[in-house]
Amino acid sequence: MSQPSEFYSRWRYRLFPDHIVGEVLSKNWIDNAIPFLILIASVAFFSVFIQDLFAPYSLIDNGRQIGELLLVVFGMTIVMMAGGIDLSVGATFALATFCSLGMFNYFELPLAVVVVLTLLLGALIGALNGALIGFLRLRAFLTTLVTLIMVRATFDTLVLNYQVEVSMAMRFSDAWDFIGDGDVLGIPFSFLLAAIVGIFAHVMLTRLGIGWRIQAVGGSRRSAFNAGISVRKTVFYTYVMSGTLAAAAGVLYASRLGAAGSDTGLGLEVSALTAAVLGGVSLGGGRGSIAKALLGSLIVIIIQSSLVRLGLRTGANTLVLGILLLVAVAIDVKWLKNRLKVLAKVYVSPGYFRLPDIGRIGSSSPYADNNRLADVDLIGLEEIEGPEDVILDEDDNLYCGSRHGDVIRFFSPDHKRWEVYGHIGGHPLGMAFDAQGNLNVCVSGMGLYQITPDKEVRKLTDETNRSLLSVIDDSRMRFADDLDIAPDGKIYFSEATIRFNTDEWMIDALESRGNGRIICYDPAADTTRTILPKLMFPNGICVSHDGQSILYAETWPCRISRYWLAGPRKGEVELVMPDLPGYPDNINRSSDGHYWCAFVGMRAPAFDLAMRMPSFRKKMVDRIPHDEWLYPNMNAGCVIKFDETGKVLECLWDSKGVNHPMITSMREHKGYLYLGGSLNNRIGKWKIPGADPDWTGVSSYWRAT
Amino acid sequence: MMLDRLKTWYDGFRGAGDHAITVPPMDGALRPNTALDEARTLFDWPSPDNVATDGDTAVFSSGAEVLRVRPGEAPVHLRTHPAPVTALAAHQGALATALATGEVLISGGPHDGQRLAASADLPISCPVALAFRDGDTLLIGNGSDRHDAGEWRHDLLTRTASGSVWQVDLKTGAAECLARNLAWPRGLLPLPEGVLVSEAWRARLVVLRPGAEPDPVSTELPAYPGGLSAAPDGGVFVSLFAPRRRLTELVMRETAYRDRMMAEIEPEYWISPSLRPMESYYEPLQGGTLKKLAMLKPWAPSRSYGLVLELDSSFDARRSFHSRADGTRHGISSTALIGGTLVVAATGGDVMVALDMEGV
Repeated sequence: MSQPSEFYSRWRYRLFPDHIVGEVLSKNWIDNAIPFLILIASVAFFSVFIQDLFAPYSLIDNGRQIGELLLVVFGMTIVMMAGGIDLSVGATFALATFCSLGMFNYFELPLAVVVVLTLLLGALIGALNGALIGFLRLRAFLTTLVTLIMVRATFDTLVLNYQVEVSMAMRFSDAWDFIGDGDVLGIPFSFLLAAIVGIFAHVMLTRLGIGWRIQAVGGSRRSAFNAGISVRKTVFYTYVMSGTLAAAAGVLYASRLGAAGSDTGLGLEVSALTAAVLGGVSLGGGRGSIAKALLGSLIVIIIQSSLVRLGLRTGANTLVLGILLLVAVAIDVKWLKNRLKVLAKVYVSPGYFRLPDIGRIGSSSPYADNNRLADVDLIGLEEIEGPEDVILDEDDNLYCGSRHGDVIRFFSPDHKRWEVYGHIGGHPLGMAFDAQGNLNVCVSGMGLYQITPDKEVRKLTDETNRSLLSVIDDSRMRFADDLDIAPDGKIYFSEATIRFNTDEWMIDALESRGNGRIICYDPAADTTRTILPKLMFPNGICVSHDGQSILYAETWPCRISRYWLAGPRKGEVELVMPDLPGYPDNINRSSDGHYWCAFVGMRAPAFDLAMRMPSFRKKMVDRIPHDEWLYPNMNAGCVIKFDETGKVLECLWDSKGVNHPMITSMREHKGYLYLGGSLNNRIGKWKIPGADPDWTGVSSYWRAT
Repeated sequence: MMLDRLKTWYDGFRGAGDHAITVPPMDGALRPNTALDEARTLFDWPSPDNVATDGDTAVFSSGAEVLRVRPGEAPVHLRTHPAPVTALAAHQGALATALATGEVLISGGPHDGQRLAASADLPISCPVALAFRDGDTLLIGNGSDRHDAGEWRHDLLTRTASGSVWQVDLKTGAAECLARNLAWPRGLLPLPEGVLVSEAWRARLVVLRPGAEPDPVSTELPAYPGGLSAAPDGGVFVSLFAPRRRLTELVMRETAYRDRMMAEIEPEYWISPSLRPMESYYEPLQGGTLKKLAMLKPWAPSRSYGLVLELDSSFDARRSFHSRADGTRHGISSTALIGGTLVVAATGGDVMVALDMEGV
């Protein structure tokens, strides 16, 4: 009967998992994805044009260049992460090259002294930058530009006058050659050095105090200052590090080429900046990593050397880099600005879902509207908020959860006085007593908790096994909903959805995909295992009267199923009620051997149709605010009673939702039915005509004959 | 042509232009209050509609029935028609009654017994507004060429604008069309130089002047304007019978969903405005309308609302009277000022209420 368009959308939404896109985008590593893709693309592009791009000699030659560039880029990254920029690295690099050559060839100083003095020179230039920018608070861009010009001018003057003296290699040193041309296990020394520096820089940025301070300053100067960080000193240090690393790269270059010319280090600042930004180090500061710097450097080196080998002239090479930098900056700005917006738009991904056609409820239907819940006694009116579930103990005390993260106990017999029985911190949802009298509670956003009779709160579990193929981490529990306890003590509980938090439960309805699961916690072994994955908002759970199976409600598909725990059909799932007219919530036992189930809302035809048209729901989520979205009708209250076979025996209505719109749970106790609602501010107490006045839930579970 | 199509597609993709789903806020003179909920009840009556006056008495309709009312008295039955009454107008003892069948009947006055039926010269298949310009001239608002008076939801959701306003000379029977392609002209008020028309689906008021294009004088109303009645010193009372909601605006533009909804679901359960507060759990709900703490929030995006807006003589909003989402006096179809009391027909609230106009 479904129309052709629906045939298409059914398969379209079944075959293409839209939700994966949003889940991937929500990952932190997605920041690295763009540079990684650019890297792959550039490798693919140039390997078409250059046959031996990855021939061994080419790799090693590139490796030496990479080593030098990496050191400079690391320095640049550190400065950028503190929110600055260092344009003087190219000039520092050139001067360091010249000075180390001069000291080595002309003054013939010992190698160690040459290296140390050169590094000191770099540190000094960095300190100049750092003092001006950090302490005198000049603009980083202009200051380092001026330093660039000054250092470059010094270098040019020196080269003009002493180029020949410096480049005359009169002295031979194995160590010096090793720095330039040596390998360790086939790896170029300069690359190895860069790797070691990189590891140290990574540890520094992510694990040491100074690194955290750098990121804090880059992320927000003012907050960092308010947090007591010495912003000026931190900025100063980043430039010192950058200058030192540039000088180190200069030493490597000097020993590799043994000469310094007017083009040494020319345009290096552009390469380094391009590499950093291309890798994803943000110009705005605070975001970046050594891994990103590495990615960006690889891209720049591959492009640069490929262009050289393709015969482009130096000028054109710089032009390409400039364009690349421009593109990278644009991506950086747009990405940072729009990432969360894109994520918000993409994350919600409605699927196709068709509920069975059941027509409208007529007056002869077992669900026929009656106003039987009109004469209900109210407990805790306007004193509690959000009693999602209610439960009573053998002494007739009434327990419920509250939005404020408490379990409240109303004292018998009249339930007028109450106390906070236990403070957990998250909104308590489903509750069940075990044989020892412990109150086991599903807590939204937290997991499965227990309150002992001594009011001690204990965490039972908040983690289950991570499934193999899920993109988002589904081991932590986001939305433990309802639970029940089998005769052997194992706790079966539902997690309604793994994709959304509790306050976003309605978004899960708009998706209508199998985002939820049923989990079993075994207290004896203290293990937690997912037993039924990919359910659509599994909600109420109830162990059957014979203890052989659990009944569970899936809310969005409006159905109740049975999962066999024991007996010949152990492990099987059987659909018990496939076509409810409302959205089932909690299920609990009734005194006459049947079950109660609450409807959280009723199926509205307009909503049912929207479920079959995912693109409409997607548009709705994109275009209009949350409060204006289409919901099922949840302003009516309804509770049904059904038997083991799924036959509806009774139906109780508050169809106008006067006292009990959106009933989420009900519990029978000594001839009365107690009603809870997760958005309500009262508990209802309704006399069940002809019910067993001595029957209690606790005795039904734990004192059965 | 090509560019237009491209623009339409781009707007649909970006949510810009015609696809920008926005609804003006109720602010300024339209700031919400509870004046209608606190207003004095004249009497409860099922679906009172089309209240009209020619001075000290008023008439109104309820389904096919026409009744007369004086302040302080119980309504008196006048007559019952074979079809639902869709509009009423009164003038110096004469009463014009429009029926859902497309007929307009005149009773009382010099043209007593005259009957206007839809014809090629006067295609009024859907009369939804009537007004006397003088004893011999009747103005008729024809809601739509495509839908009946009862199918206002269809007309709105399909964004139809095929309504027209006609001026009929009762002496000669000559009919003149004052304007076409109006979006459901539900209210008419003769002005000295023309006629003021409420164009419901465009949420605006326009003035029709002879030989001129319709002149929008009050636009971007937050609800759909219906009946118009004269206020003292040249002002106007505008009855706004249902609120505009962004979800409805979205559905109008999402034609695939809209067409299936209209084809497969009963109209009262559509995503559309309604005259009545929620009655059935089959009606769709918008997120903000979900009851919290067993309470419907007054600012909830409900399907129905009660709103009377008073404009001054230059059609600027002067003040307004509200029954918000949590109220019941919704679906205000029409008003009539009788001796300093504004009689308000709350069709969706099944009640006739009175607002006392101070200083009048």
